[in-house]
Amino acid sequence: MRGSVAVGLALALGLALALPLIAPIYHVTLMLPFMAYGIALLGLNLLFGYAGLVSFGHALFLGIGAYAGAFLTTHTPVRSLEVILLTAMLAAALVAALVGALCVRYVKIYFGMLTLAFGMLFYTFVLKFYHLTGGDEGMRFLRPTLLGQPLSDMSKTAYLVGPYYYYSLALLVLATALMWRIVHSPFGLCLRTVRDNPLKAESLGLSVPRYRWHAFVVSAIYAAAGGVLLATPTGNVDPTLAYWTHSGSLVFMTLLGGFASFFGPLLGALVFIYLQDTVMSVFPYWRLVFGAILAVLVIFAPTGLAGLVDRALSARTARR
Amino acid sequence: MILEARDVRHFYGAFRALDGVTLGIEPGQFVSIIGPNGAGKSTLVNVLTGLLHPASGTVRFDGRDIRGVGPVRLARLGLARSFQLVQIFPDLTVLETLQAAVLSRRGRARWILASLQADGEVRRDAEYVAELFGLAGRLHAPSRTLPQGDKKLLDVAAAFALRPRVILLDEPTSGVSTRDKTAVMEMLVRASRGVGVEAILLVEHDMDIVFGYSDRIVALQQGRILADTTPAGLRADAEVLAAMVGRPPQPSAGDRAPGAGGRARPAGS
Amino acid sequence: MTAHVVNVLVSGVFHAAILFLVAAGLQVVFGVQKIFNLACGSFYALGAYVGVSAVQAFVDGGGAPALFIVPLVAGGLVAGLIGVVVERGLLRFIYDRDEAFQLLLTFAVVLMLEDLIRMTWGTAPTSTSGLYLVYGQVRLLGATVPTYNLIVIGASVVIAAGIGWLLTRTAFGRIVRAAAENREMAEALGVDMRSVYVRVFTLGSVLGTLGGALVIPSTAAMSEMGVELIVEAFAVVVIGGLGSMRGALAGALVVGVLRAAAIAVFPALEMLLIYLIVIGVLVLRPSGLFGKAVTA
Repeated sequence: MRGSVAVGLALALGLALALPLIAPIYHVTLMLPFMAYGIALLGLNLLFGYAGLVSFGHALFLGIGAYAGAFLTTHTPVRSLEVILLTAMLAAALVAALVGALCVRYVKIYFGMLTLAFGMLFYTFVLKFYHLTGGDEGMRFLRPTLLGQPLSDMSKTAYLVGPYYYYSLALLVLATALMWRIVHSPFGLCLRTVRDNPLKAESLGLSVPRYRWHAFVVSAIYAAAGGVLLATPTGNVDPTLAYWTHSGSLVFMTLLGGFASFFGPLLGALVFIYLQDTVMSVFPYWRLVFGAILAVLVIFAPTGLAGLVDRALSARTARR
Repeated sequence: MILEARDVRHFYGAFRALDGVTLGIEPGQFVSIIGPNGAGKSTLVNVLTGLLHPASGTVRFDGRDIRGVGPVRLARLGLARSFQLVQIFPDLTVLETLQAAVLSRRGRARWILASLQADGEVRRDAEYVAELFGLAGRLHAPSRTLPQGDKKLLDVAAAFALRPRVILLDEPTSGVSTRDKTAVMEMLVRASRGVGVEAILLVEHDMDIVFGYSDRIVALQQGRILADTTPAGLRADAEVLAAMVGRPPQPSAGDRAPGAGGRARPAGS
Repeated sequence: MTAHVVNVLVSGVFHAAILFLVAAGLQVVFGVQKIFNLACGSFYALGAYVGVSAVQAFVDGGGAPALFIVPLVAGGLVAGLIGVVVERGLLRFIYDRDEAFQLLLTFAVVLMLEDLIRMTWGTAPTSTSGLYLVYGQVRLLGATVPTYNLIVIGASVVIAAGIGWLLTRTAFGRIVRAAAENREMAEALGVDMRSVYVRVFTLGSVLGTLGGALVIPSTAAMSEMGVELIVEAFAVVVIGGLGSMRGALAGALVVGVLRAAAIAVFPALEMLLIYLIVIGVLVLRPSGLFGKAVTA
């Protein structure tokens, strides 16, 4: 890892740890969806940046995670966030194993279409079977216990900007460390060969569908964890979590941050959340602004913000 | 016999691409396949490398039936190939490309929680192969930045990094300037010894190379084997030679000496 | 009983007629530019809103209600010019890029159009209310069917024939088919691809906006109609086969009629059934009914 990146990360982590103590509550609460999306995007980028597959249905797994949590807290006595997370990730892994087995045999646009179809299948299912899922009104997601602590005496806000914030942060750090290891492992290298040249990868004895499938399942597990974390603060889940445009936004965030960089997706989530908040406070038509940003990104800066930073840093070292 | 095709036939519609081809490779042999375009070389190569399931006939590698078994399985069994059109991993470095091959060979390709950087064995293996192909000075260069000739070498080097028992080289010197062709072939021969390849199958158009390095030359035309003999034997067969080359044979000083066993030696050594 | 079936069939075919127009727009763009235009639903929505406004302006200005279809179609056609803006302004920069980026750019258009429509027309649904009933109704095998629906079905058939004629009998059509088959070859033969691209994309967008305009009398224009339609349109082209006009027709009929049947028999199934068919098609026969063979 480049020195400047390591320093930047350390600073970011320090800032994140101190935030609840120094920043207004509003900004702290904004970090919560960022952390949830951050985890989900780390997973998505394994699929997008490292395996070369564009999924337009990844919100499916966000939805599975969120609904798993909602279901557990409202229909069972389970309140433990650890149990919820494990269940969500397991459920996502199972679905991804099945769906992935089908989807990874196809590439590019057909992969995108298949994943979009599965995502919308889940959306429609959740929407129509309202006896189970509450339909378009959604389901409630009751406050989970953290490491066994119910913390029921805390107000919702205190819970969210205190223990829940640090819990999410810890999870994000864990998820990041794990993904770093995955990406720098033999598996990660071989995954990139499959991305770069499937024909050549096969001639070296690497099974292309297998690698994509593994990446698909891991990315789904990450997305489910993200989905749980996303739903907890709002206390509610609804079908739009799995709508195809939400999947599109996930890809957008990844592209914004930079798919060719490990930390790009995290950067993308952060910028997206804050930018959306800022724009929405002055101008209700944030989609117009974001659509324009996406267009500019795709045309002029496909490697995203991380790519731009990278270029700037390289130019500086070149000039020295 | 390490690789054997028996009475292989294959059709594309009504067109007979392979019409009863029987071919056997023994360990220690350097066999070249020649023939004009459309003779069936590509089809034969694809059949021999498990990419194509022939309409009829058998193909065995080390006694195992490998018809249509696919490149993944075949690479694991010990048969590797390089490609006519250069195939590399554009965003991977030279070292990473070779590491991928080594990981595959060592069965570590799916280790998801291990650190690649910490794996000294894999790194040393990869560096060794890079050394054999003269790429040691550019280990960290992204493959897409390499000059075309080096890309070709990398393509071949990755196949060699699998330490295959048999390697099929599909026009390894195509696109290489005449001056460099010998250097490339020398490198390939040396590398074969370096990684312990038992037999080499070469598809080539350049007759000097073919005659200079082969123990046996198999001449293909219209899906049939016209001749399967030594360089000297082929020179003696003016008819076949004319069908292949279309001109009277040149002086034979550079030919591979007949009756020499073991691995291929550089011509004239 | 027959009346019920006829009603379902007619509403199904009406929906299919609209879907065909949008899908045809998708297909022609995919065939030539190899881009799957996620924004085709947004064009459809735009056509709907412009159509409503055109009709309202016409009627408010004293136009005869019986002629409402004129400003409706005109509105739909004019709205189609958005295709020129999108193609020249955005798409032409990314023809050489990876498919993923092309998809994302069309997604950007979806986002922008969604809010542009909201900005211009607000979020409340708008419609032409019962205006289409001015053409009366017709009795068909015991069922009562709005004449307007039959007019639209007829128009769609005419347009389908027109597209067929355009593609097979005109020079432009030949060029389009050649470019779809082999772009480099067409360029080498001197075809100005830039001009072909903008015209093809505009044809696609016009078909989409026209579809949106024509559906208006029977539905209200709503802000989500764009993002919702794309999924149906996508189902149509998958079932019919990407890039094929006949596929657009066949796929539209399958989706339109099946959907109408599902709504009548088992409403919860509706789109669920369609998605299952889409997944089934993608798995068993990725090329769809009429598409070209797909290499996985």
